Amino acid sequence: MSEKIINIDNVSFKYKGSEEGLLSNLSLSISRGETLLLTGGSGSGKTTIIRLINGLIPHYYQGDIEGKVIVAGKDISQTQLYELAGLVGTVFQNPRSQFFSVDTDGEIVFGPENIGLDPDKILERKEDVVSKMHIEKLMGRSLFELSGGEKQSIACASVSALLPEIILLDEPSSNLDQAAMEKLREQIKDWKNEGKTIVISEHRLWYLKDLVDRVIYMENGKVKHEWTGQAFSNMDKKTIEELKLRPLEVKDILSGGCKDNCNCEGGCDITSSDIEDGVILKNFYFSYNKKPYLFKKKKFSFNDKNLELNISKLVLPKNAVIGVVGRNGTGKSTFLKCLCGLEKDCKGYIEVDGKIYKGKDRLKLCYMVMQDVNHQLFTDSVEAEVLLSMKEEDKDKCDMILDKLGILEFKDKHPMALSGGQKQRVAIASAMAADAKLMLFDEPTSGLDYAHMEKVGDMLKKLAKDGNTVLVVTHDQELIENSCQYLLCIDKGRIGYFKKMN
Amino acid sequence: MKAGLDPRTKLYMILIVSAIVMMSATTPLLWTVRIIMTMIPLILLVIEKRYSSAACFTILYALALVLTFRFMSEQNSGILQSLLTGYSGIVVQFLPALITAWYVVRTTKIGEFMSAMQKMYMPDGIAISLAVVMRFFPTIKEEYSSINDAMRMRGISFGGGKVSKMVEYRMIPLLFSCVNIGDELSAAAITRGLGGENKRSSVVRLKLGICDWLLITIFTGALAIFISFKYIL
Repeated sequence: MSEKIINIDNVSFKYKGSEEGLLSNLSLSISRGETLLLTGGSGSGKTTIIRLINGLIPHYYQGDIEGKVIVAGKDISQTQLYELAGLVGTVFQNPRSQFFSVDTDGEIVFGPENIGLDPDKILERKEDVVSKMHIEKLMGRSLFELSGGEKQSIACASVSALLPEIILLDEPSSNLDQAAMEKLREQIKDWKNEGKTIVISEHRLWYLKDLVDRVIYMENGKVKHEWTGQAFSNMDKKTIEELKLRPLEVKDILSGGCKDNCNCEGGCDITSSDIEDGVILKNFYFSYNKKPYLFKKKKFSFNDKNLELNISKLVLPKNAVIGVVGRNGTGKSTFLKCLCGLEKDCKGYIEVDGKIYKGKDRLKLCYMVMQDVNHQLFTDSVEAEVLLSMKEEDKDKCDMILDKLGILEFKDKHPMALSGGQKQRVAIASAMAADAKLMLFDEPTSGLDYAHMEKVGDMLKKLAKDGNTVLVVTHDQELIENSCQYLLCIDKGRIGYFKKMN
Repeated sequence: MKAGLDPRTKLYMILIVSAIVMMSATTPLLWTVRIIMTMIPLILLVIEKRYSSAACFTILYALALVLTFRFMSEQNSGILQSLLTGYSGIVVQFLPALITAWYVVRTTKIGEFMSAMQKMYMPDGIAISLAVVMRFFPTIKEEYSSINDAMRMRGISFGGGKVSKMVEYRMIPLLFSCVNIGDELSAAAITRGLGGENKRSSVVRLKLGICDWLLITIFTGALAIFISFKYIL
């Protein structure tokens, strides 16, 4: 192929303070205009490569580095980060933390302003990017009210506005639903057609099929396999499973509602009579928009228009893992929040074994493991965390729970010192200690590789087997296939469909 | 009417109001000036369609004002009354600054703010740090509300009765996530050229309009009245 634009020559790297090296003697060169996919398990060094190219290593994240990284003729270690700004653009994983501005317009012009372009020229570029990406309707809004997919669009736009030759994407799909991923695919295609060099680090692969020119599989900081784009797209299922990669094909789960033989109220595939012994949810209505009158409580009813949540009756099977799907911003998280009683104005009630849980009682029945587990760990040791949830402190029971989840060895550690997956287990442990029968998970596998996703899936199944009802809000098709017995689709606050998986 | 005030005017307002809240009003004239100065940001909030916060502030301020005037001068006794007077006194004294600051933070875009800082020849380092602080307010709010949710779910909103725990449980996760977000945020910002040697440009073009000059005049006048009546006459 043509000239090499990125040259990583025999690089070894170790983060400051860590014992193990992350990359060892890695060499990689990328041609101008090439689209390269980096894949492999968590901690295999994908993100490190991205950081080597955009200069965050060694300028921001410090560590021991050997070897040379040359990007477009510049030695990265000798080049200041701001000099790279017009050359290399990066889209990051977490949409919450890659914005500098609060409003969308300010965000797109932020990069060009930094390099001191002429204001007229910046506005011209902005117009250009906005019309090319068709994001006119996102302009003039607060970034804090956008959905994950919309945020990622703005991130792409603000990278585009700097007109970089090289675009890096670090797990860009972690928080996206299927539709938003399709959109991301189109964006990458456009960049490719413009002749940009693109490097993507990613677990979820289906949306990149037939798009990338070359695929690199990393393991323990080394290039383990390398395929051409075509060979990769034609890869058989067995190889993919062996490599613990996420599949290249996914089913469209959102439009799979009930079309034939639908005989149930509200358009669900399972009627309440199908489930004999279940968790009954009744009168779950909620809206954020309706403002309360002074001193008067909000009340919602079935007939209200524009409800964000409108479920009059739903029977969930006990001891099962139920996947909750739906587009970004369609009310899935609202559903969970109302269900476990965090939204006080939602007056729905839950009936289990003939007992009715209303208002605050719902908080005792349910436990939600949040997407960002950091928000729900409060104490200074794992053990204290679990004991905090118990009505009466019982150390033996605590040990038992920790052992069951495989985190007994971390008993005395600070929860914040653990890895993401371990933190999640600590949160589950405290849910078990609180005796919650209804366990809710909000996107437990976002940003996880196949192996870790499988582990989470197995854990969910185990929880269900032990007598809990597990609800999982997720975009992760592989997790659904792996562990969900039922699938509940929420569409504009209503039940889209509810069906049993085969 | 659109109150697209220049950020420089807004900063000037904060400066003057903060100076005035530090001086106590003693005569009816000074009280009038003070109340008028509190009304201005309230009216501006209404113009910017921030009705609920404007209403809250107005009620709070009015209540504190009434309480202070009703009880302050008279012989008051009893713990409740003295506490009440103390609190309402503090509110009356400092709420004007809070309202103004609230108005400025809520209605200033970061781009405008940066542009204003450049026009005032503020070094980039200071301008950027202040901009990040403004960027962080909504983030902290978001994080705080999720942490609060998590605490309610665990039934530890009141820290099991201990005030120290109540604060600890809120602050620790909040600090951790803010540090993480801050770290990622700065990494993202420098890959987009923040902190470079070239002079930053700005697409926001600022010009002081009639409203700006009007407000600057009013606020300067108010400060002049306070200083002359308190220290010169």
